[in-house]
Amino acid sequence: MWNCSEQAVVGSSREGFEVRKVLIVDDSVSMRQMVGFTLKEGGFEVLEAEHGQDALDKLQGTSVDLVITDLNMPVMDGITLITNLRKQPAMKNKPILMLTTEGLASKKEEGKAAGATGWIVKPFDPEKLLLTVAKVLP
Amino acid sequence: MKIDLSQFRQTFLQESAEHVMTMEAGLLDLRSAPTDTELLNAIFRSAHSIKGGAGSFGLNNLVRFTHALENLLDQLRSMEVPVTEAAIAVLLESVDVLRVLLEAGAEGEDAPMPAGAPELVARMEAFISGPGSVADGAPAPRPAGGKEAGADPTALHDSDLKVYTVELEPAREMFLSGANPIMLIRNLASLGTLTCCQVDTAGLPPLDGLDPGQCYLRWTIELTTARPEEELREVFEFVEHLAKITIHSSPAAPPAADLAVKPAALAVAGTAPPAKSTALEVVPDVAAATPAADGRRVAQRRAAEKKSGGGAEASSIRVSTDKVDRLIDLVGELVIAQVMTAQMVEGFTPGCLPKLREAVAAMERNTRELHERVMAVRMMPVGSLFQRYQRTVYDIAHTTGKQIRLEISGEETEIDKSMLEQLGDPLTHLIRNAADHGIELAGTRLEAGKTEEGVIHLRAFHRSGRVVIEVSDDGAGIDQARVYAKAVERGLVAAGTQLSEEQINMLLFEPGFSTRDEVSDLSGRGVGMDVVKRNVQQLSGTVSLASVKGSGSTVSIELPLTLAILDGLLVRVADRTLVLPLLAVIETVSPQAGQVSRVAEQGEVVVIRGESIPLLHLRRFLGISEIANGGMIGGAEGDQQRTLVIVVEAGRKKIGLVVEELLGQQQVVVKSLERNLHRIEGLMGATILGDGCVAPIVDVAVIAGMDLFTLQAPGSRQPRAILRQPQMQAS
Repeated sequence: MWNCSEQAVVGSSREGFEVRKVLIVDDSVSMRQMVGFTLKEGGFEVLEAEHGQDALDKLQGTSVDLVITDLNMPVMDGITLITNLRKQPAMKNKPILMLTTEGLASKKEEGKAAGATGWIVKPFDPEKLLLTVAKVLP
Repeated sequence: MKIDLSQFRQTFLQESAEHVMTMEAGLLDLRSAPTDTELLNAIFRSAHSIKGGAGSFGLNNLVRFTHALENLLDQLRSMEVPVTEAAIAVLLESVDVLRVLLEAGAEGEDAPMPAGAPELVARMEAFISGPGSVADGAPAPRPAGGKEAGADPTALHDSDLKVYTVELEPAREMFLSGANPIMLIRNLASLGTLTCCQVDTAGLPPLDGLDPGQCYLRWTIELTTARPEEELREVFEFVEHLAKITIHSSPAAPPAADLAVKPAALAVAGTAPPAKSTALEVVPDVAAATPAADGRRVAQRRAAEKKSGGGAEASSIRVSTDKVDRLIDLVGELVIAQVMTAQMVEGFTPGCLPKLREAVAAMERNTRELHERVMAVRMMPVGSLFQRYQRTVYDIAHTTGKQIRLEISGEETEIDKSMLEQLGDPLTHLIRNAADHGIELAGTRLEAGKTEEGVIHLRAFHRSGRVVIEVSDDGAGIDQARVYAKAVERGLVAAGTQLSEEQINMLLFEPGFSTRDEVSDLSGRGVGMDVVKRNVQQLSGTVSLASVKGSGSTVSIELPLTLAILDGLLVRVADRTLVLPLLAVIETVSPQAGQVSRVAEQGEVVVIRGESIPLLHLRRFLGISEIANGGMIGGAEGDQQRTLVIVVEAGRKKIGLVVEELLGQQQVVVKSLERNLHRIEGLMGATILGDGCVAPIVDVAVIAGMDLFTLQAPGSRQPRAILRQPQMQAS
C-alpha cells in the first residue's frame, strides 16, 4: 500500500496527483490536432475549443492549468479571450500562451498587453513547444 | 522524444482546400460588398490558417506565397488599401496558385513556385502602400527543429565557461500575465550551475499594506555556464516588458578565437530563413517557360494533378455529427433486437415462433436501415461543387467582356460523393458553354430587348427519385437550322432527313460537333458535349437539352438515385401519412371560406394575397376516399377545420396541396418505388417512418406539371394501387 502511493507521487506532476490540463483554442482543426497531439505526447490532458467564446463556454465549471490560444479566430478572437480570462479569478494568474505567426509583431504586443504569458510561433517545432510550456507552467 | 506531426498533413490539406474555397467565394462576394470587414476578416483568417499550418509540413513555398497574400489582405481589412476590382482579380489569381501549391503538397513535396507566382507577388506588393509594410518581417519558413546549433551541449567546451550575473527586477504586476519569477530562476538554473541566488526584500511593504497579487521582490543570480548570453536572454523572452533584466558576464573571459567563431555561426543561423524578396524571386525553371497565360497553365496543371492525385482527397470524408448520431442510435436498436432474439432462442418453445419471427424481422429492418444510413454518409450536398462555378463565370465574363451572373439553387441537394466528383468536369463544360456561347454581349442583348446582364441558373433538385442538375441560360438559344445544316455537312445525318426539335438538339451531343466556326478560346477545347454525355452516362444518368432560339437553353442532367435523403414535411391525408419535400414548400395556409373559388377549366383555386393558386386535393389525387368533403374547401360540409393548404412550388409554378393535418418535419430516406414495387407517377418514392409505416413521398415537380383540372376528376389516379395495400413491407 505504502509503496503504491509513493509511486503515485513520483509519476505525477509537482502540483499534485492529477494530470495537468491544457485548453487549446484554434479555429483550425489541423492546428488543434497538432498542438493537441504534441501535448498528449508530453503527458498532458488536452481540451479543445474552436474560438474564444467556445473556450469561455468550455471553461465553465472546469479549470485548466494552461491555455494556448490562436489570435485570429471567428466569433471571438484571441486577444478578447485573453482579456476575458484575466478577469476571471480562476484564470487570473494562470499561464496563457498565444499562437502567433512571425509576421504580426503588433499582434504579439497586443497579446502581451492583454495579459498573455508568452507565445508560440507557428509553425511550431513540437519539442520546442513542450519546452515553452515547461517554461511557463509551474 | 521525437514527435512526428506528418500524420496531420491530410487534415491540413483538406482544411486548406476548404479555406481556398472560402477565400474564392469570399472574394467573389467582395465585389458587391467591398467594405464588408467581416468578409475580409474571414478571407484573411483562411489565408492565415494556411500559412500557419504549411510551415509544419515543410511547405515553404506555400508559406512564402501565403505570406505575401496575407500582407495584402491585412492591408485591405484595415482599410489601408481600398478594395478594388483589380485587387480582387489579383487575389483570385493567387487563390489559383494556392491550389497548385496545395495539390503538390498532397504528394508530399514542397512544390516549386508555379510560373507567374513571383509576378503575382510583385503585383500584390504593388497594392500595399508605404515602405513600412515591406519591413513587416520576412516569412517564417523555419526548418523544424529551430536553432538547435547553439543548444547542442556537446559543442560546448569547459574553456567557454563564463560567470553571468543576472539582475531580475520584476514589475509589480508581473503575476497578472501568468508569469512566475520562480519559474524564470528555475529555467535559468537549467542552463548551467546556479552559484548564487539572492533575493532582495527591501521593496516589501509592511504586512498590512501588502497585496499578494503583486511582486515586491528582486533577485540577483549568478550562473556559471558555457552558454551564450542570448540563451539566458531567451529565458526572459516572455517577461521583457514585465521586468528589468540586466546581464553581466564576468571575470573568466573566453579566448579570443572563440569569439570570432561564434558570431559567424550565429550569422549562418540567421540567414537560414531566406529573406522575402530573394526567396520569391528564386523560381525554378518552369518560370521562364511561358510568361503569358499563366492562369491557364495553372488551370491545366490543376486538371492534370487532379487526375493523378485525386486519390488523396477521396481518402477522407467529413460527416455531420447528425448523421453519426443516427448511426449510433440505429446500432443501439440493433443491439436490443439482437438481445431479444438471443433470449428467445435460449428458452425456445414452439409458441415463441411468431415472436421470434417478429424480432428477426425487426433486426432485419434495422440492419437494412443501418446499411442505408452508412451509405448516406457518403452523400454530400452539391453546394460545394456549385460554388466553384462562380469563379468560372467570373473568369469568362472578364475574358469576354460580357455581363454574366450565376444563380445557384438547391445547393443542399445531396448526391453521392463519388458522383459529385465526377460531375465536376461535365458541369464546368456546360457552364462554360452557357457563358461563352449562350449569353450574348451586352449590346446584342439590349438589341434583343433583354437585360444587359445575362443569367445562368445552376440548379439541383429531386425529381421522381432522381437528382436533376440543370444548367440554363437566358442567352441566344440554339439555332436549330444551323445545327441541322452542320450535321448534314458533317455527315451525321443524311440531307433531307426529317428530325424533331429534340432530335436536332441531341445532335449537339454527337462526337466532334461544334457549331462555332472558329473554336472559342474558352470552351472550344478539350471536352465537348459528347464528353459531357459520356460522363453522365457513366453515372447511369441521362442528359437532355431544351432550347428556344433567342431566349436561351437548358441542359438537364438526371442522375439515378436509389438512395437519397431529403428533409420532408409529414402530412396526414385521410389515415395516410405522406411526405412533401420541404424544399418545395413555400407556406401553409388555413383558407377561409371566401378564399377558395372554382374557376372554369382550372378547378379550384385559392387566393392568397391576390394570387390565384390552383388547388389539388391529395386525398382525391391518391384515390384514398371520394366521399368526405366532396365539395370545395370550406364548403357546406363544414370540414374547414380539418383542411390545410400547403403551397408548393415547382419550377415557376405554384400549386396548393390540400391535406388534413401537419404532422411534423423529419429527414427521410428516399426509397425507390421502381425497385420495390413499380413506378408511380406523382410519387418520387417512399420512405419508412419510425413506426415502420410506409409513407409515399409526393413528387411536387411532376404533380405541378400535370393538368390539375383532369386530376380533380374523382378517383382517376393510379396511385390507389399502392395505397390500398396496407402496411407495405419495405422489401
